Order: sequence, then structure tokens, then C-alpha cells
Amino acid sequence: MGRFIVRRFAAALFVLFAISVLVFLIFFATPGVDPAARIAGRNASQATLAQVRHEFGLDRPLPVRYVLMMRHLFIDRDLTSYVNRGARVIPQIWQAVPVTLSLVIGAAVLWMFFGVLMGTVAAARRGTALDPLMVLLGIIGISMPVYWLGEVVNLVTQNALHDSVFSWVPPLGYVPLTENPLQWALRLLFPWLTLAVLYAGIYARVLRGELLSSLNEDYVRTARAKGLSERRILIKHALRCSLIPIVALFGLDFGALVGGAALLTEVVFGLPGVGKLTYDALQNVDLPVIMGCVLYAAFFVVLANAVVDLLYAVLEPRVRYA
Amino acid sequence: MSAALEVAGATTGPGTQAVDPAAHGSAGPWRTALGQLVRNKAAMASLILLVLIVLACLCAPLYASKIAHVDPFASNVSGTTIIDGKTQPLLEPSSTGLGLGVTPIGPTWDPTHYFLGVDNQGRDVFARLLYGGRNSLLIGISSAVICCAIATVLGVLAGYFGGAVDGVLSRLFDVVWAFPVYLLAICLSVVLITSGLDLGPVHIGPGSLWLPIGIIALIYVPYVARPLRGQVMALRQKEFLQASIGIGASDWRVMRREVLPNILPTVIVLLPLMTALNMLTESALSFLSIGVQPPNASWGTIINDGLGLLYTRPAVTIAPGLAIVLTAGALNVLGDGVRDALDPKAKLRGAA
Amino acid sequence: MKSRHVLASTALTAALVVTAGCSSSSTPSSSANASGSAAAPTSFQEQHKGGTLHLVAKAAAGTIDPMINYTLQYWQLYQAMYDGLLAFKKVDGVKSFTVVPDLAEEMPQVSDGGKTYTFTLRKGIKFSNGADVTPDDVVASFTRIFKVNSPTAGSFYNGIVGADACIKTPATCDLSKAVVGDAKAGTVTIHLVAPDPEFPYKLAVPHATIVPKNSPMTDAGTTPLPTTGPYMVKSYDPNRALIMVRNPHFKEWSHDAQPQGYPDEIDETFGLTVEAEVTAVENGQADWVFDPPPADRLNEIGSKYAKQAHVNALTAMWYLAMNVNIAPFDNIKARQAVNWALDRAGAVSLYGGKNLAQPVCTFLPPDFPGHVDDCQYTKGGGTTWKEPDVAKAKQLVKESGTAGQAVAVVTTDDEVNKAIGENVQSMLNEIGYKATLKPISGNIQFTYIQNTNNKVQISLTSWYQDYPAASDFLNVLLGCGSFHPGSDSSINISGFCDKTIDAQMQKALATEQTSMDEANMMWGEVDKAVMTASPTAPIFTPKLIDFLSARVGNYQFSKQFYMLVSQLWVQ
Repeated sequence: MGRFIVRRFAAALFVLFAISVLVFLIFFATPGVDPAARIAGRNASQATLAQVRHEFGLDRPLPVRYVLMMRHLFIDRDLTSYVNRGARVIPQIWQAVPVTLSLVIGAAVLWMFFGVLMGTVAAARRGTALDPLMVLLGIIGISMPVYWLGEVVNLVTQNALHDSVFSWVPPLGYVPLTENPLQWALRLLFPWLTLAVLYAGIYARVLRGELLSSLNEDYVRTARAKGLSERRILIKHALRCSLIPIVALFGLDFGALVGGAALLTEVVFGLPGVGKLTYDALQNVDLPVIMGCVLYAAFFVVLANAVVDLLYAVLEPRVRYA
Repeated sequence: MSAALEVAGATTGPGTQAVDPAAHGSAGPWRTALGQLVRNKAAMASLILLVLIVLACLCAPLYASKIAHVDPFASNVSGTTIIDGKTQPLLEPSSTGLGLGVTPIGPTWDPTHYFLGVDNQGRDVFARLLYGGRNSLLIGISSAVICCAIATVLGVLAGYFGGAVDGVLSRLFDVVWAFPVYLLAICLSVVLITSGLDLGPVHIGPGSLWLPIGIIALIYVPYVARPLRGQVMALRQKEFLQASIGIGASDWRVMRREVLPNILPTVIVLLPLMTALNMLTESALSFLSIGVQPPNASWGTIINDGLGLLYTRPAVTIAPGLAIVLTAGALNVLGDGVRDALDPKAKLRGAA
Repeated sequence: MKSRHVLASTALTAALVVTAGCSSSSTPSSSANASGSAAAPTSFQEQHKGGTLHLVAKAAAGTIDPMINYTLQYWQLYQAMYDGLLAFKKVDGVKSFTVVPDLAEEMPQVSDGGKTYTFTLRKGIKFSNGADVTPDDVVASFTRIFKVNSPTAGSFYNGIVGADACIKTPATCDLSKAVVGDAKAGTVTIHLVAPDPEFPYKLAVPHATIVPKNSPMTDAGTTPLPTTGPYMVKSYDPNRALIMVRNPHFKEWSHDAQPQGYPDEIDETFGLTVEAEVTAVENGQADWVFDPPPADRLNEIGSKYAKQAHVNALTAMWYLAMNVNIAPFDNIKARQAVNWALDRAGAVSLYGGKNLAQPVCTFLPPDFPGHVDDCQYTKGGGTTWKEPDVAKAKQLVKESGTAGQAVAVVTTDDEVNKAIGENVQSMLNEIGYKATLKPISGNIQFTYIQNTNNKVQISLTSWYQDYPAASDFLNVLLGCGSFHPGSDSSINISGFCDKTIDAQMQKALATEQTSMDEANMMWGEVDKAVMTASPTAPIFTPKLIDFLSARVGNYQFSKQFYMLVSQLWVQ
């Protein structure tokens, strides 16, 4: 176990390093994103431009700039944005974390619940009309672009039906849980549903497929022969072994979302989370903030995958993680 | 439905009888599967729907020139049309209050004349929808196929061999999955716009469709590969696999004959799923000008364009969304049918 | 000015030549507000004092430092916070172009042939931290402009003696000989290298704000500097909000220069999409949205909420800049073909209709000093634009020999720009080119199209002028001095440098010092010449919509800095 942790930690460092280098290179290989002119201000004189370039270290060789940026980010912890000058990257990310966590955890609970429910029903009722219906419901969820769905939800709840059916919906934005739990939940309700709709379908589909496979496994046959009810078989036995691909997908999705992959949902609903921060940084092509957000996200992806690998051993005892 | 016949070589459990196919003169596994598929009503309906969609999209030029008489790619902002005998501008300026804004005409529900109305450039939405289907289907399906192919290979290798191979591949998956694709897309689009990309002898311009296909296929490889890897890891411990190795089968043979068929159902489920996801990812990339360039269309770009008309002409953004839903839905139901048909152990509850 | 978010640099108009004591207002204003704002009350209405004004904007606008920030979003807010020696009159209508004394007691004494300006500071004005405003603060503020690398250090303030050295090495900047403060007499004297009739205007913009002498000599970033106006910044988080509260040390000293504000608190929150912002104002959850409303809400705003919407003309222009140094637009016939074929009415539709924009055919917008009604590119001739002549354009393209060439139209990736870009692409295809559209992220497009290394052939861009200054429009955008090959900061995007026309421009600039009317006539001639050479294709001049919530009153629109935020009533 100890070796596992050490190995995965080393792996995490490698991944973070690789990504930081890639981001850095991509940024500076792109024409037109040089921040000097944008920092200096429109129509700045050539002399001012040169001054700014020197002050921000943009006239130094690439590897030096990379090392400087990493030093400011990790050691001095005072890396500041190119665009919102004076605003430090790490406190910005830190401030945004609770928002994203609130959004993602709530959505995850909903989508796992509905996904498992729909997938199980589809597998149990295979052959009836309920099966393709569940599939279709799931597909509708996946096929809707999240930005579109969010805009439609806003159109209905804030605009069209705001005076009648949805008058209880509060304005868009985020209220911390510690400040007002009810407002926190109300404001997150529609973002949760919007995000959950997207993922529930995927999990329903995959689970259905896996359940059907495991319902024909030997141990299930044994259970049937023993006289256990179908329902009990389904829930207690078949479900457990079908979970491996589900857990793998969940690790990937949850890890990515915590790191800020829910950016369009946050943008549409005005939630100032890590995703929105990343989105703004990308729009502004603001390298320090992009770097901070990307590394933050990469860390969670690696962490989530490591946890998932640990879980495999629990789900399928015969898997020994060597 | 009739129960599938046992296929020689598969495990038989207690209570089932091994059947010798030759002795009974029955059909081989593929024909059996096909038979099952044909009897699956839902799957057949989906197949027909898919064929219709593909045909409609292929007939797009015919529709645009012969039936609707429009050019779906030329801006027609100042154009006019005749509805109910009255000449009307395609983009109608507002005449109430301060008179701000223009509104494109809405659906006329007349297949020969702006069936779904026009978009914000005065172009026929339905004609663009048909043309767009070609791009969406091409990109969505090819990237899904490429993605699943690569992911299957890598996932099997990682799960089967474990150790260092798994270590390297898993790190690769982590890097790809954690990679900021939006950043890559933004920067790549600027590079393409400026000078195009030179990958060795191949010059890629911004309009090349291989770029979005390649990018989308690659970024989703971890999403398909990791579940497969997990399954293979579990499979490795099973008795029949151990038995195969025990009798001296080579790794290659084991992977091909034991592992692959057992993870195939998962791949078949994932393939149409990825198609749906890919069609949507394509719209995000096209928005960043990688892939389908204006004035060309794909369902995703029409959705994007339509978002700007959501409050006045929602049909523009709903129609392509519906198209994606129908196509993805049909692909998935068909996929389920194929999966069920090919699964030799698939039986109805309670069947003997 | 490039956009609402950016202000112009260099040569401000000499139309409002300021000599001691004389400040006449400029030329005729542009057309009146479509929904007219009420006449401003002449005295402070106590009953409307109080409340919190809630503004929304899509995103923050960068640094809070008034000497560096160059966006209209914050310049509009600075009007209620910061003061310079002079200021633009904070009133509704055309009088807002007048410069009045602000921290100075009266307009400066100008001597030495226009090279020396002497100001007497008002007494008794305090910063929001309680300290008095003294001549030392003024001296330190001018030095600070150079030390923090203000974007206009090299364009507005390079006329100050010793400025050149300061620009080259800001760290050792010493202006003590050029900007002299006399604490006993309470005066400040500024010495210029050469007479500059526009210097008063340069003193009235936020880059010349007076800040305390102990302010940090680096970009303030997110740490606000003490203010002298009715409001001060309480907190600034670029991801959440900018909160302004009343300055406890403010006492109104000049109603024209810095009137007392009505709301007790002004919040500008960030983070919503523009659609959500418009909905918030409609629902009364916010009071005003900074960003232009999306196209599909315009109808709603103009009809259902007409009473809450105010439309005002701007002295601004959207245009296509064609690179005259690379194919195909290095050929004058190709450029003229674009001007002939451009569907300006279509672009107006895409912007929001006839009531939000007006097609233009000259480089100077209508009702601008120097503007002469003339149109060289309309079908059937005439002085105003009526319709494109595509046939003529096709012919010109054939004659130029550039037919069939690939052309890329570079625009930003927001809705309106992309839509107009697609329209232009379609037009270029029609007249014989193989055109493609290249939308780029809004935040990098402007610097991208300026850099000649990117080989941009034709781009869609805009220029917002904050005061009518013909010299500014023509000289800045098309003068040889604004063309810097290979630099991200080369505002002459077309790369146009015609020696004859440039000489004409310099002559007009010189004439401004003696006779504004004569100079304006010369600018009119320059405009004609420029349109014939056709390095750009002007499309339309836009109007601004201010959408307010139902509870807000007393809307005042200054032509200089737009809506007067501090004068709004929320109760």
C-alpha cells in the first residue's frame, strides 16, 4: 500500500510536469498571444512596450521564463495574472474551489442515482418497451450541449415563466453554504440538474450493458440455482461486478469536473467556480491563470484515477494491484 | 425470442447442455446473431431511421437546388421572400417601441419554401441542416470508431500486461485526460489561421476535417480505454483465462481469443455513446474555428448560431439538437441490439 | 478609441482650444437621444439620495489603477471617483465636451507662447484617506505616469520637458524641473517642449489623475488608490465585484466638475453571461448592464421595456481595414471593389437595425468636425450611401487581376462581429475571390491584426472616438507615424503610408493652432483623398443602448464618458 502511494505520487509529479511544459510551449508557440502589448495598453509607444516586456521578463529565453513562472507559482506562491494585474493566481483558485465542489458533488449524487436507476430498470426490463425508452431518455440527456441546455433552463426559469411557475427561483449566482444553506441549495438546484442530465445517460447505458453481461455469469447462475429472487440477484450480486467500468468512468468524470471541466455550466449559471476562472483565463489568454488552473485540474485527474485503481481491488477481490 | 445456441468453446454452466452445431445442422454464430437482430423490433426501427437520416443528408444538394431553390451558404441578409402573397424581408426589423433589432422569419412548415425559417444570415435552416448532417455524421462516427479502436488496443495492453506497460500507458491516459483541450484548440486555431500546420510532408489548413476528427478521437481515448483496462484486469484473474495461459497459449492468442470477445460488448455500447459525445465536441471545436468553417455547417455549428436566436427563433437551435438526439438515439438502440445479438450467453429471464 | 473599452490616444481636438478663461463648446452634436434624457436638476435633490446601485458587467476590466487602465468600463466609473487638474463637464448632452477646472481653481494661465501652464490648486480638498491635496501630490502624480508605464505616457504626455528620458528609463524619472510645485503659493507649473492646444484635454482624462504622493510607483493592480471624488473603492475582486462607497471626506466644490452622487453605494458585479444580465435587469435584480445586449433581446428591450432603454449616437465607426502591403489589397482597384460591393445596410441589420446604426461612406462619422457628406461608392451616385454596386465591383476585381485569390477575413469571435464577417466573406466570394472567415478570440484579435507578421489581409474592427477630433481619427489610424511593422502596437492597421496625404494631414494639424474651421475644411479634403485611396471600408456608425431597471431615474448621458453613474437615482 505504501509503495502504491509513493509510486502514484511520483506519477502525479510527472504528469503535472509534462502538462505544465506542454501548456507553456503551446502558449508561446502561438502567434498573437504575446501579452506585452495587451499589458502595456492599446497604442502604447514602442518604448513603453519594451519597458513592459522587460518588467514582465518576456524578453528572457523560454526555459528561464518557465522556471521563473514555476517558482512564482509553487515556491513564492505569488504568481499574478497578466490581465487582472495584482490578483494572485492561487487565492483566486482557492476562492473558486468551494463553488465547483458544491456544484460537482451535488450533480454527481444526482447523476449516479438516476444513472444507476435507469440502467438497472433497462436491464431488468429488457425486452419490454421500457428498455429502449430508458435508452432514449439517456441519449436525449447526452445529446444536449450543456451550454444550450443551461440557456434554455435560464430562459424558462428566469425569463419566460419567472413570474408564474418559477417565481421561487432565486437570481443567478452563488451563495456560500455557510452563509445561507437554503439559498445555496436553491441557486444550485438547476445547475445540478443541468449537469446531471448530461452524465446520467452515459452511466445508464454502460450499466445496462454490464448488468446484462454479468447476469449470465456463473456465480449468478449459481445464485439462481440456489433460489434467490431475481431482484436480489440483480442488486446484490450482478450490480457489484458491473461497477468496474462505471467506477472507472466516474473517476475520470468526477476528477475532470472537480478540476474545472464544468466550465460551461458555471458560465451559463454565473457560478464563480474553477471552471469559470479557467474559461475567463482562456478567453483572455492569460497564461499564469491558465497554468494554475490546468495544473490544479491535472492534479485531480491523477488523484481520481489513483483512487479508482484502489477501488478495483475492493470491487473485484481477485484483482491484485501489483 | 428463441434462445441463442451455445457457441463451441464458450463455458457451459451447470444445467445447460453442450450442443454440437454440426450434428444439428444449425446456422453459424454470425447468422444466428443476424437473425436475432432482425427480430429485435426496436433495433430494426432504429436502423430504418438511420438509413433515412443518412439518405436525407446525402440528398442535401438535391433538396437545396431542386426543391427549395436556395443557396444555403451565401449570406442573404438583405433578401426578401414572398409569404402569403406579401413580400417580406428575411430579416424583419422591429417596428414596435424603439424599433430595435431584427428578427429572422420563422418556420413556414412548407418544405419548398423556408421549411424551418432562416438563420441570422438569411440562409435556409433546413437546407443547412441536411448539409450539416454530412459533416456531423462523418466527424462523429469516424472519430468514435478511431477512438474506440485505439482505446481498445491500449486498454487491453494496459490491463493484460500490467506492470511497466500499464504504468506508462496509464500515465499517458492521465496526461491526455488532464490536458486543456480548449487551450490547445484556441492556440491551434490561431496557428492554423496564420500559417497552417505542417506535420512533416502534410500541410493542414484550418478547414481540414481530419483535424477535428483526430483531436476528438485522441482526447476521448482515456475515456474508453480506462473502463476497458479495468475489465481486462478483472478478466485476467478468471479461470478460463488462467487455463488458456496454463496450456501454453501465447499472450497474443489469449488477448485475441479470450479477452477481446469478452470486452467487445462494452465497446459496442461505448461506440454509439462516443458518437453522440463527439458530435457535440465537434461543435465546440468548430466554434473555435477548427474543423467546419463558416459558411459550411454541421449540426453543432447550427446549434451555436441558433443560440444567438434562442429568445426569438428557438427552432434554429432546437432542430439540429433534435437531429443529434434522433441519430444518437437510433445508433444506441441499434448498438444495444447488436450487442445483445452477438452475446452468446444472452438469454431472456426465465428462458430455459 | 478602438472600442467602448479603449480610448483614443494622441492629438485631441483643438476645436475646443482653451486659452485662459475661454472654453467654448465644440461643433454641433450628433443627433439627439432617441428617448431623450430629462433635463438635469440644477441642485442636489436630497430626497433621491441613498440606496445601492447595482451594475452588472460580463467581466472585470483589468487593473484599478487610473493611470494605467485604458478601458471605457472603468473610465466611466472613475468619473465619480478620481479628479485631475481639469475635467470634462459632467452634464448631459453636448456641453459634456467642455473642459472645466477641477482640482485647479480656474483654467490655467498659459504663457511663454503656450509652453507654460500655471494652475492654482483649490484649497481644502482631501483624499479619501484624510490627507490634503497639495502641489507635491500633483508633481508626484505626473512622475508616476511615467514610472508605471502608462499607455499614454508616450502619446499624451511626451510633450512635458524631460518626458523622453522618463519614457526610456522610468526608474530614474525626475520631472522636478518640468512640473514645479509651490507649496506656499499653492500653484503648480508645467513646462512643455512645444505649444500643445490639446494639452488641457490630456489633463482631463483619468491618466492624469492626481493621487497621493506616497502612492506605490508600480501598477496598483487590485489595491485601490485613495480618491478625491464622491466615491471611493471599498474592495475590488476581479472575479466577483467592484464595490464603491461614499468618500467620507468629499465636499462638493464644483457642480460642473465633480457633482455629489446620489447612491450611497455602487456595486459592479461580474460573472454573468450577457443574456443573464439582460434578464436580471428585466427582473429588477440589477440596475444596468454595461455590455451591449445580444441581438435576440433587442426587440424585447425596444418594445416591452422601451421606457427603460435609452439610445444615444456615438462618434464611432466600424470598418474593414485592408492591408495595403500584401496581396490582393495592395492593388487599389481591389480595395475600391470592396467599398463598392460592401452591403452596409446588411451589416446594419446584423448590428441591430436602422435605429441602432447608420451606414457611412466617409472616414469621419457624420456630425463630426471635418465631416463632409460625400459618398464615392454608392450605386447611382449621391452624397449618402444607398446601395452597393456589385457589378462594378466585379468589374474592378477583374481589371485588377486579383480575381480568384484566397482572402481571409479576420474578426473577433463574438456573435455580431462574426455575423458581419460572414456577410463580408459572402460578398468577397460574390465579387470573385475565394474568401474564408477567421474568427479569433476577442481579447487577442486587436493586437493580432496590428502585427504585420501575421499577414492579415482584411479585418473587421472598430474605432470609438471619445471626443470629436478629426485629426485623431485620420492621423492616428492612417498616418505614417502610426505604422510600426512587426509590432503588436501598430494602430495603422492597414499599413497605409501615402506621403502626399500624410503631408496634407500634417498641414491640417498645424493649421489647428490658428484656425479650427480652416483646419476642419482641410480634414474634409483629407477624408476625401483617403476614401479614394481606399485603405479602409467604413461600414456604419453605431449607437449605444443603456438598459436600466424600472426603479432607476435621472439618466444623464455625457458624450464624453457616456452614462453618468453617480447621478442615477435608485430611490
